[in-house]
Amino acid sequence: MSMTTATTDEVAEEPPAPAAPSDQRERDRMRRRLARRRGGGWWPYLFLAPWFVGLFGLTIYPMLDSLYLSFTDFDLLTPARWVGLDNYTRMFADDPVFWDSVHATLVYVLVSVPLKLALALGVAMLLNRDLKGIGLYRAAFYLPSLLGGAVAVAIVWRQVFGGDGLFNDFLAWFGIKGQDWISSPDSALYTLVLLAVWQFGTPMVIFLAGLKQLPKDVYEAAALDGARPVTRFFRITLPLLTPIVFFNVVLQIIDAFKTFTPAFVISNGSGGPLDSTMLYSLYLYKKGFTDLQMGYASALAWVLFLVIAGFTAVNFVASRYWVHYDD
Amino acid sequence: MGHQIPRRTLFRTASGLAVAGALGGTLAACAGGTGAGSRSDKLTMTWWGSDDRHAAYKKALAQFREKHPDIGIQETYQGYDGYFDKFNTNIAGGSAPDLLQMDTALVAQYARKGVLASLDSYVGKSLDLTGFSKTLLAAGTVDGKLYGVPSGIGVNQLTVNRSGLEKLGLKYPDPEWTWADLRKTAQDVYKKSGGKTYGVDDGGGSTLQCFEIFAREKGQQFFSGDGKKLGFTADTLQEWWEYWAQMRRTHACPPPAVTSAAHNDLTKNAVVIGKALFTFDSGVYGAGGSITDAQLDFLPTPQGDFSGAREGNFVNGGVLLSATRASKRVAESVQIMDFFAQDPTAIKDMRLLRGIPPTQKARSLISAGLNDTDKRNMATADYISRRVSKATDALPAPVPPPQGADQIWDLLFQSNLAVAFGKKSIKAQLGEFFDQAAGILAK
Repeated sequence: MSMTTATTDEVAEEPPAPAAPSDQRERDRMRRRLARRRGGGWWPYLFLAPWFVGLFGLTIYPMLDSLYLSFTDFDLLTPARWVGLDNYTRMFADDPVFWDSVHATLVYVLVSVPLKLALALGVAMLLNRDLKGIGLYRAAFYLPSLLGGAVAVAIVWRQVFGGDGLFNDFLAWFGIKGQDWISSPDSALYTLVLLAVWQFGTPMVIFLAGLKQLPKDVYEAAALDGARPVTRFFRITLPLLTPIVFFNVVLQIIDAFKTFTPAFVISNGSGGPLDSTMLYSLYLYKKGFTDLQMGYASALAWVLFLVIAGFTAVNFVASRYWVHYDD
Repeated sequence: MGHQIPRRTLFRTASGLAVAGALGGTLAACAGGTGAGSRSDKLTMTWWGSDDRHAAYKKALAQFREKHPDIGIQETYQGYDGYFDKFNTNIAGGSAPDLLQMDTALVAQYARKGVLASLDSYVGKSLDLTGFSKTLLAAGTVDGKLYGVPSGIGVNQLTVNRSGLEKLGLKYPDPEWTWADLRKTAQDVYKKSGGKTYGVDDGGGSTLQCFEIFAREKGQQFFSGDGKKLGFTADTLQEWWEYWAQMRRTHACPPPAVTSAAHNDLTKNAVVIGKALFTFDSGVYGAGGSITDAQLDFLPTPQGDFSGAREGNFVNGGVLLSATRASKRVAESVQIMDFFAQDPTAIKDMRLLRGIPPTQKARSLISAGLNDTDKRNMATADYISRRVSKATDALPAPVPPPQGADQIWDLLFQSNLAVAFGKKSIKAQLGEFFDQAAGILAK
């Protein structure tokens, strides 16, 4: 009786031989042998140690710390006091500025990201040709992205769109009387959107790299069949480019959610007028460092984390339906 | 050809890594820790101010170094914007300065949180406060202990572009003027300038400079005595906002876009950019802009023109010098405070850059070297403080503002702006203001 059981177990433990090709098995064996010869398991970790120190000391530990702080009342100056979910309930139930900032941030993300990507793709297509000095053009179009995040550019932006700024001088040529775009609650956020769109360089370069990889033969075949440029764009370029579009969408959405510098500089740190440029990160900063509510700010950060994670997850799921991989 | 990574894997992985990196950064930026003490081997001192004030501080500190070669001083200075954000971050990071210029509006908050060192044990020994009046020292006193040495007498004054007024052929107002006089004068400025210049910047949202005085004229403080509630009624604020709504309608003050642009930015102040002739903001003098060549003058905040109006002005302490409690150099910091309080060269260097000097001795020391605008500034301050000390109906000077006060001032500014931009009616905004203010103070 017991013999029988044992035999059965033994049989069960032996998995059916995988149907892997023999060269795969050969490669695995080689790899194992190489690893042994290189001196075992711990050497690689020694070399990785500096990175691990950074990962745990500068990312994981502060993240956990901020998770803890989000459940406390912490003013930076005196020890944190546990308050449970108070910060989170206050945020959703009792903080109108929080909702102002959510509103401003969603408008900013949903308007700036599509515009920026459309512009990036358009310019990338224009630059995807063999002209003399094309490198120079590419550099010129990329330049705003190098400068755009800088404080100096945001200050210039404030001047350009101010009451007697360059933009109104430009409008005056056409007899249009401008307004102070930065100081009006209806237009201030859109000056930020414009600044974001202007920095289309990074997605443009990625699009350009993608366009260069597209197979020429498909286009030749399409041209022979008489497909017009617009058709070629929508039927060939765009579908083949979807993995890159996806990559850019994910990155740009995350970036847009985290925007801080231009909002801080252009509104003089106030998020005004009337909270219209109170982007989420700016509000978080104000709560933490100006109003000394670091516990509340930590809770805000975790809500942002969850929202971005949610947006990204939706993106990944949705990508199954519109992203084509050619492998 | 080497090993090919499928594109699917590549883009999935790249997106995933980017997500992880991007999110980690945000959260990690939000964690803080507490520590204390400076690590520099020099005494660190920090202040905010204009370029003039920076230069004066540096000149005075150079003199101090000559007398005390054993005390090394590391100076950092900047404008007011972000000064306290940076200070908060420094305290949290354990790198707070030893000695700093402190705002009278914030001293109570920091003292009660244990950030500042009590100075009482030095007074009369290494800290000579001879000639400082009791009301003046109250500006640096919290719960009966001294946490900051006042730099001088601070009173609220309006800054006036006197040349601009003369060019329009308008009479300079009498210092005993009322809110109705201000309205009349400001409307005249708009009319006489052919609509090019408004009268006065919009005061509907500025607290310390004018609303607080208006409330005191009504016999109400901004904060209640215990600092836990607002001290004024909804009727008072409503009357105030209606006054300014009328000012805006009649172009006595500029439209909200101008007001909004000037928030936290003196270089955009309506008087500095030449859009108004009167401002409640006190730092305009020296800010340059269109008034560089104009003759500036000063006026007290207008008086109440309603029955039973009281004296609304009060005297505070300019700015303070405070030491941090975690500092190991409080004794040395006190030596520097003493130097700025009593040393003739320091007093002469600082002139009026930190308010009217606090003692009679100091005032007579500097009076000879003052320029015309400085003299007018000092004369008006003198006029106001004399009127305050003679008044029998004035409320006591305000209590040190409670925690969250700066949020309430900002709320008042934003509320006035919401009304001015037409986003809210005065009635609706009043309700919101009192609701939110109560929430902030209950914290």
